[in-house]
Amino acid sequence: MGLKRNVSLSAALGYKGQGPYLTYILHRIGGSALFILFTVYILALLGVDSMHALLNNWLFQVVFLAFGLFHAINGLRITILDLSPKLIEHFRTAINIEWVAYVLIAGFALFVILRNAFGG
Amino acid sequence: MTTRTLSIKKRGFSFEVFMWAFTRFTVIAMYGLILAGILGALSLSAQTGANFGDILYWAFFPNMAENPLGQVWMVILAKLMVIAFVMTACGHGVHGVLEIWDDYVTSESARRWARNIVITYAILASIVAIYIILSA
Repeated sequence: MGLKRNVSLSAALGYKGQGPYLTYILHRIGGSALFILFTVYILALLGVDSMHALLNNWLFQVVFLAFGLFHAINGLRITILDLSPKLIEHFRTAINIEWVAYVLIAGFALFVILRNAFGG
Repeated sequence: MTTRTLSIKKRGFSFEVFMWAFTRFTVIAMYGLILAGILGALSLSAQTGANFGDILYWAFFPNMAENPLGQVWMVILAKLMVIAFVMTACGHGVHGVLEIWDDYVTSESARRWARNIVITYAILASIVAIYIILSA
């Protein structure tokens, strides 16, 4: 692995990889978010009240569900393509299917959280 | 676009190859545990009349919620599944965090330190979670 990385995050986001690159960068953001969630969970288990309150906060739940669900669904696509290399030729179709699944699942989850938060 | 695959033999066996395989296997285990956990919680809620959400909340926070399950075997099974999930999630996360870190931090010593700190953190966090879940 090279020890120099001369590409900034903003330049990387403008990279012409487009859709596949967007999933790649969102997967990393989602993974980092879940790592934070794991830490919050461990602290809540230890009885830190503020962490428990954070877990019950609707905004926290929205952010982590949005990123966490994307990480899980994108990870499933990556795993399927890894285990079935012949499908790699159809990776753009797989990404489109992934986005449809994500919008449906995340939309439903966000609807439930917001309905509970605002007592609809 | 042509498909490019490399056999396991040609890939060799290094820390990176091991962690790549480990990450793939742990994520498959996590999907299996999520599916089994949802089906199990739905089945238990149907059998005991307990709320599905209450079962999942108690399973992940057994020291903060009242046990909605009556029978001992249900409790043991639920705790073992949560422990397995926490351990696989932790193992999976270690490699992901280190991969991101390695991409943005170029110093070899910083990479070595990050590797030691993150792996130590993951082991300690897993031990804490297992202890609290089992003892609650």
